[in-house]
Amino acid sequence: MMNGRKATGPRPGQTFDREPARRVFAGELREVKLQFREGEDEKSPSFVLLPTGARCNRIFLVGTLTEKERRGDQNVFYHARISDPTGTFFLMAGSYQPEAMQQIARIEPPAFVAVIGKPNLFESQTGSILLSVRAESMTAVDRETRDLWVLDTARATLQRLEELGETEESKRAEEHYHTDPTIYRKMVYDALAQLKI
Amino acid sequence: MEAKGIAVDRLKIESKIRRLVEEFGVQLAEAERTVGNELAREHSLPSPGARAQEREIHGLSAGEWVTVQGKVVALTSPPTPAIAQAGILADSSGAIRFTVWARAKALPLSAGKWYRLESAVVDEFRGVEKLNIHSGTIITEVENGTPLIPKVIPVRDLRPGVGSVRVKVVQEWEPSHERMLQTGLLGDETGAIKFTIWREEGKEKLIPGTVYSIYYALVDEFNGRLQLNLSTAICIPEEGDIRVLEGEAAQGVIVHLAPGSGLIKRCPVEGCNRVLSRQNYCPVHEIQKDFRYDLRIKGVLDDGIRTRNILVQKEIVEALSAMKLDEAVALAESSPLGMDEVFYRIRDAVLGRYFQVRGSEIDGRILVKECRKIAFDPAELAGLLNKAGGESR
Repeated sequence: MMNGRKATGPRPGQTFDREPARRVFAGELREVKLQFREGEDEKSPSFVLLPTGARCNRIFLVGTLTEKERRGDQNVFYHARISDPTGTFFLMAGSYQPEAMQQIARIEPPAFVAVIGKPNLFESQTGSILLSVRAESMTAVDRETRDLWVLDTARATLQRLEELGETEESKRAEEHYHTDPTIYRKMVYDALAQLKI
Repeated sequence: MEAKGIAVDRLKIESKIRRLVEEFGVQLAEAERTVGNELAREHSLPSPGARAQEREIHGLSAGEWVTVQGKVVALTSPPTPAIAQAGILADSSGAIRFTVWARAKALPLSAGKWYRLESAVVDEFRGVEKLNIHSGTIITEVENGTPLIPKVIPVRDLRPGVGSVRVKVVQEWEPSHERMLQTGLLGDETGAIKFTIWREEGKEKLIPGTVYSIYYALVDEFNGRLQLNLSTAICIPEEGDIRVLEGEAAQGVIVHLAPGSGLIKRCPVEGCNRVLSRQNYCPVHEIQKDFRYDLRIKGVLDDGIRTRNILVQKEIVEALSAMKLDEAVALAESSPLGMDEVFYRIRDAVLGRYFQVRGSEIDGRILVKECRKIAFDPAELAGLLNKAGGESR
C-alpha cells in the first residue's frame, strides 16, 4: 500500500485524516508529563501521552466555565478555568485562535461550555510542568450535554484502561507514568456518582 | 497408544522415525505422522488424523485441520483449472466456502448431498475462511435426512463468507458489466447492502419491492464495503413487507463547522446548483446576477476515535438551529455581519453537541438524511457505574 512513499504527511490522492478529539477528565489530563512530535518537520502534529495510554493531539471537554481573564494589550489573549467532576482544565486562547477568543469574550461565567482544543505542556516560572489547552472553539451548552460528556468520557477512559498494556502507546504510558488502573477507575466512578440518575 | 492398552516398542518407533528423517529426508512432523498411521493400522485403530472430532462449521478458523460433516448447498464454476470444484458446505451451525483442488483427484461432489470430510484444511482468502479439500482429505458420502434450515441473520451482522438474510429489494441499478444480470440494493430493518447476480443458466432477476428469503449468498468485502453475490444463493419470494434502514449511521460530537456552512447562494442556471462565491461567481457559469439561497452544514462528527465528514441539508439545519431559511435570509440582510451572522447562529446551536446521524456515504462524506440529538440515558449511567466500581474490587 505504501509504494515506498514517505510515511510523514498526508499521502497524495488521500484525504487528510483529522485527528479525533479524545475524551479525557481533568483529573487525568493534570498528570500528563510527556509531549512528543510525530515525524521530523515543524508542521508534524504534536501529541501528549495520556496516563491511560492514548496519544492525543486534540481533546473535547465539557464543564463549567468558572473564571475568565483577559490579558495583554497589543497581543490580547484569554485565560479561563473550566471545572469537571474530577478537577480543573486550564484554557488559553490567543490571537492565533480568533474564533475561540471571540466566543470566550461573549460567555459569562458561570456557564456550561463545550471546548475543542489542543493540549500543550509548558514550564511555569517556578519550573513545574503544567498543561494547558489551547482552545479552538468554545460554545455555551446545557446541563444535558455536560452529563452526556461525563458518560462519554467515563466510557472512553474505562475502554483505555481495559486496553492498558495491549497497545504500543499504552505500554509506553505504563512505563512512563506507572499507571495504577484502580486510581483511574475510582476517578471515573466518582465522576459518574455525581450525576443524578 | 499406550493409553489404549497397547504396548509399543519405543525403540522401534524411534528407529523408524530416524530412518525416515535421516535416510529419506522426510520432515520430522511428516515422519511422525507416517509412523503413527502405520502403528494404528497394525493395531486396527483409526489413524491419528481420523481421531479428530467432528467440528461444527460455525467457528472454524484459518490454520486448522478439521473433520466436518455437511451438505453441499451450492456449487460454483471454478475460477481456474487448478480448482476442480468450488461451492458452499453447510451444517446446522453455519456454512463455509470450499475448494476442491484438482490435484486432490477427488470424486466430484454433488449438490444437495451430505459428506464427511476428514482432515480438510481451513485457510483464509481475502479475509474469508475457506475449507480446502486436498489429496489427504478423505471424503465419504453420508446419509443424512436432517432438513437443513439456514440461520437467517440481520444485514448489519453479515461478515465476509456466507450469509442468509430476509430482505426487501429496494433499488435496482444499471448493470456495470455485460455479464451482470442484475445489481442493486437490498435491506432489512438493520441495514442495506449491494447485491449482484451474474448471468448464469437458470438465474432469474429479483423483483424490486419484493421481500425474499435468501439462503447461502456469498458475502464479499470490496473497498471496505460488504456486498452480496447471489450466484450461489437460493432466493425464495416471501409475503409481507420490511421497513428498510438505508445508509450509514454514526454518532459523536460536531467538533468543526467548515467554511461554506450556514447560509449559501447557489447558481440559478438550470441543473447547476453550484455554490456561488462571495462575488456571486459560479465556477462554471461565472458571474451571476441572480441566485438562490440555501442552508447547509459542512462539518465534522467526532466520536473520540474517528472523525467523519458530514453534509447536512436545509430541512435538518432549520430544525437544528430553530431558524427557517427565510428567517436566516432576513437575519443576514439586517445584520452588519451579513451571512456570517447566520453561520455563528448555527455554530452556537450545534458545535460541541452530541448527535446521531444517518445517511449515505459518498466520497468520504455522510449525506445526512436523519439527525437527532442524543438524550441522556440513566441506564447507561448505571451500566458505567457498575463497570467502574465492579472491577476495582
